[in-house]
Amino acid sequence: MPTTAYAHDSTAAWRRANRERALPGRTVILKIKRCDGPGKPARWESFKVPVEPGMNVIAALKHIAANPVTADATHTTPVVYDANCLEEVCGACTMVINGHARQSCSCLLDEYAPREGDTITLEPMSKFPVVRDLWVDRSRLFHALTRVKAWVPIDGTYDLGAGPKEDPASQQDRYGMSECMSCGCCLEACPQYTHEDDESKWDTSFVGAHAISQARLFNEHPTGKELKPDRLDELMTPGGVTDCGNAQNCVKACPKGIPLTESIAAIGRQVTLRAFARFFQGK
Amino acid sequence: MRDNAGLLHRHHLLLRRLHSLTGILPIGVFLIFHLTTNSSVLWGAINTRADAEGLARGVATFQHEVAWINNMPGLLLIEITLWVSIGFHSVLGVVYALSGKPNVRLYAYRDNWRYTMQRWTGYIGILFIFYHVATLRWGWSFLVPGGAQWSHHFAASTLADALRGSTTSITPAGVGVSLLYFVGVTSLVFHFANGLWTAAITWGLTVSEQAQKRWGAVCTALGAGLMLAGWSSVIGFLITDRDQARGIEERMLIEHYGEDRADQIITEHGHADADTDHNEQAMTETQD
Repeated sequence: MPTTAYAHDSTAAWRRANRERALPGRTVILKIKRCDGPGKPARWESFKVPVEPGMNVIAALKHIAANPVTADATHTTPVVYDANCLEEVCGACTMVINGHARQSCSCLLDEYAPREGDTITLEPMSKFPVVRDLWVDRSRLFHALTRVKAWVPIDGTYDLGAGPKEDPASQQDRYGMSECMSCGCCLEACPQYTHEDDESKWDTSFVGAHAISQARLFNEHPTGKELKPDRLDELMTPGGVTDCGNAQNCVKACPKGIPLTESIAAIGRQVTLRAFARFFQGK
Repeated sequence: MRDNAGLLHRHHLLLRRLHSLTGILPIGVFLIFHLTTNSSVLWGAINTRADAEGLARGVATFQHEVAWINNMPGLLLIEITLWVSIGFHSVLGVVYALSGKPNVRLYAYRDNWRYTMQRWTGYIGILFIFYHVATLRWGWSFLVPGGAQWSHHFAASTLADALRGSTTSITPAGVGVSLLYFVGVTSLVFHFANGLWTAAITWGLTVSEQAQKRWGAVCTALGAGLMLAGWSSVIGFLITDRDQARGIEERMLIEHYGEDRADQIITEHGHADADTDHNEQAMTETQD
């Protein structure tokens, strides 16, 4: 295991090997970056957690909430975190674990800290404002989805009836993209997506891979494509698809394996075609 | 707020795409021709049409190519287009590069390294191109150890002087200049090859992962070829027999302009040091 500040190695093979050699009845250390509120300074606290079989990080945080005592026996406040579905489909419990963003509900202690006294490092995502401790405010992420109109327009004054049929091949293509749970892992890993507390700048700061992929998902939907020109026009502006730097960290960070870089290229193509159409046809 | 957004905001896509385009056309295409021409000092050795023997054929080939370029119609227009394009690409490139925060320490993926290197090679490239153009094109010889002035009439010999730091031997300062050229050329070739790869994503030519991989192989091959051309240029000028090269260049000058005009040019470009003796010697040697 690497002895650097973070155990960077989190490949599936490394995790599987750890799971197999995990010591029953051990105690591990959770090193947590804490913060009492927006604008407050951050500090580190470590907690000893006795491991139960199949324990995940959320269960360890619940243990800490019930016993808010640090490893050096100081009484402290329970660590605040966000969680909801506990089955890696809502994205709420996303945090930075050993340096990389992922869902803490699906993060097993056996896979990250297999030996007695091993340490797991937990931090809030760095690209969003911290509400408290590990809980961040992901509003900017959802703001980006409204920028690119990531929805199917079906509202009207009368029943619009059934929409057009979608062929199975297109369904297959779009299914992967539809798995996005707006967790923020792709944004945390992205060097072009930088922390921005000022809400007024969210209209011009980078929307990120998730929003670009959602724009593609709905551009290719038989009814959703009605808003395709609006989406592409928005993605031509500052903070749109052109702000991507092709580092391609997003696709590696995505817990759902969504082909984000293909979506970025596909939207790049749609934007190119729309720009030419606008230049030569006027609209 | 959108309505009165500045020029940069309103033409965001156009500027971004022009930034991408100028990197390939004209700058990238020029780089290909530039390195092909320069490396002819080495590959020209197999050019049996060159009017010289052995390795010196490279010098004759290179001089021939340079003379051809310098007789091109609209050369100044081409140069101005290049300067404007490089200036535009550099200024916007720096602005764009500063908008990101490289994070290879945390995410040490190869693609992420490419991203970071693209930015660093851009910065290095701007400094290198400035030095390169200022010294060899605008004649800022005070920045050249040994003070060599590059001349298209004596392309190989004056370039060898500039790279070596002296007309007679390789000086420590000359090693520095040569290393600068090595690093500069390496950076720019990487920047171009990687930029060509990402441009295909930017414009939406390569969408699928397989397509990006295939195009990546093409760009890697092109980059490797250009890298070889760039390195062999630097090495080629370092191993050139400088005095023999000067002799060949003077002979070609006479062939091209006739004795009187050639004499004039040679006097204009003659170095103030003992070179003239060398040159005459070299000339008689090659004529023999």
